[in-house]
Amino acid sequence: MYEQIERYLAGNMDSAERASFEALMQTDGRLKEQVIEHKQLLQAMKIYGKRQVLKGRLNTIHKQLEAEQNPAASNEPSLLWKVFRNRHAQTIAVAASVSLFSVIGTLWSVHQLKDPVQQQSARYVELRREVDRLKKAQSAIINDINQAATPAPRPARFSGTGFAISSDGYLVTSSHVIEGADSIMIENKAGMKFKVSEIYRDQDHDLSILKVEDPSFSSFGKLPYTFSSSESELGEKVYTLGYPREDIVFGEGSLSSSTGFEGDSTAYQISIPLNPGNSGGPLLDDKGNLIGVISGKQAGQEGASFAIKSTYLLQMIKEVPTVTTLPPLKLSKKNTLTDNSRTQQLKKLKEYVFVVKVYN
Amino acid sequence: MDDERALAYLYKLHYPMISHFILSNSGSDDEAKDVYQEGIIIFYEKIRDNSLVLTCQIKTYIYSVCRRLWLKRLAEKGRYTTSMDDADDYLTLEEDVPQQEENERQFGLMSDALDKIGEPCRSLLEDYYLRMQNMQEITDKFGYTNTDTAKNQKYKCLQRLKKIFFTAYKPAF
Repeated sequence: MYEQIERYLAGNMDSAERASFEALMQTDGRLKEQVIEHKQLLQAMKIYGKRQVLKGRLNTIHKQLEAEQNPAASNEPSLLWKVFRNRHAQTIAVAASVSLFSVIGTLWSVHQLKDPVQQQSARYVELRREVDRLKKAQSAIINDINQAATPAPRPARFSGTGFAISSDGYLVTSSHVIEGADSIMIENKAGMKFKVSEIYRDQDHDLSILKVEDPSFSSFGKLPYTFSSSESELGEKVYTLGYPREDIVFGEGSLSSSTGFEGDSTAYQISIPLNPGNSGGPLLDDKGNLIGVISGKQAGQEGASFAIKSTYLLQMIKEVPTVTTLPPLKLSKKNTLTDNSRTQQLKKLKEYVFVVKVYN
Repeated sequence: MDDERALAYLYKLHYPMISHFILSNSGSDDEAKDVYQEGIIIFYEKIRDNSLVLTCQIKTYIYSVCRRLWLKRLAEKGRYTTSMDDADDYLTLEEDVPQQEENERQFGLMSDALDKIGEPCRSLLEDYYLRMQNMQEITDKFGYTNTDTAKNQKYKCLQRLKKIFFTAYKPAF
C-alpha cells in the first residue's frame, strides 16, 4: 500500500491503475488521509532539501566575501576587539551614554551659572495669572450656598489688574492680560463688579483701554490721582496695588532704572517683587502721582520688574477720540492723595484698582 | 553556472547594507550573516517559483525582508526596540508574511525531525528523496543485501520521520 502511495504521488502509475487508486481513495478515508500526509511530508522534505543546498552555496559565497574583505586574516587584535565588542556592546553603549550625559550636564549647569551675567539670554515674563483651578473651587463653594439652583458661572481663565483712568467708566490694563478674551469682567474690593470691553489697544506699549458696559454703571466717583506727564527721577519711592491673588496686594520699592527690559526707553525698572496677576496695575510715586503701568518682569531675577511710563499712557489716551467715535476722556486734574499718609492713600486708591478677569 | 555567479554577485552586493543595519541595531556579525542568508533564501525561492512581484528595487526588497526578520528575532529575544536605526525606504511586506512563515516553520520542523531520526535513516532518506539516488545506489552505499532490504529500511525510516514531523506539525489549513 505504501509503495502504491509513493508511486501515485510520483506520478509513476499508468492511467488505469491511477483511476482505480483514486476511486479507492474516494471510498477509503484513511487511505486518503495517508496520501495527503505523505504528500505534505515529501513537500516539507523538498523545501528542506532545497534550502540546505542553497544555504551551503551561500556559506561558500560568504566565505569568499570574507576572504575578499580581509585579504590577510592576520588581524589578531582586531578580532579580539570584535569579540570583545560583541560581548560587551551593551555595556559600552551604556558607559558611553553616561559619559555623554555628564558632559552635557556639566556644560548645561556651567551655562546656567553664567546666565545672570549674560543680559543676552534674559527672558521677559508677562505677569498675567492663570486662575482656572482657584476659580473652580470658588464657584463650587458658591454653588453649595445657592443649593445649586443656578448653573455654575464659568471660571475665569486669566486674571490681571486694571485701574480707572476717568470717572465715567474708562480703565487701563496690559494688553497681554486680555489677550484672546471672549469677555472681560472687573471687580474691586468694594464689591463693584462690571462687564467691560476693550475699546482701544496700543500693541507697541502693551496697553489697552477698557470701558464699562453695564447699564447699571453710573460713575467711579472722583479719581484721587493724576497722571504724571514728566519722567520720574531715579531712586524715587514707588508702590503699586494689584491682584496677584484673590485679595488686593500692596508692593513697594524704588525706581531703579529709567529704562526697562533690555534698555527699553518706554519703561521703568522698579525694585518691587511682582507676581503673575500684577500686570496692568498702577505704579504711583510717594505723592500719589500715577507714573506707570506694571507690565512684567525679568525671568529668574528678583526685583527686576518693569512698568510702562505714564507719558505713553497719556499719549494713548489722547489718541482715543481720533481713532474711535468716543469723546475725549476727562482726566482728573486734582491729586487728593498728595498730603495723605501711605495708608490713607491706599484706602482711597484701592477702590479704583480692579481685578481684571478674562474669560475665553 | 550563471545562476551561481548571479547569486554570488547579488549576495556580495547587498551584504554590507544588511550587515550595517544589524550591527547598528544591537546584532552581531553572526546574526547579520544568518538574517541576511535567510533573506536571500526567501528572495531566491520567490524568483524560483515565479511568485515575486517586485514593486521596488531589489535592494529595497531585500532590506525590507531582512528588517522584518531581524525585528522578529529581537522580539523573540525579548528586546523590543522602539527606535530603529533605519533606512527611510522599506516595504511592510504584509502579504508575503504568511507564506514565508509557513515555509520557515516547515523547514525548522523538518530539520528537527531529521536530527531526531538519526543515522543511517537521515542519510538514506536524504539520498533517496533529495539527492534522487535510486534504490540500487543506496543499497550499495549502505551495504544492504538487496534492494528489498533497502526499501524496507527506507519505509521504516520514513514512518518514523512522519511520526515525529506530524506530532509537531499541524498544517495551517
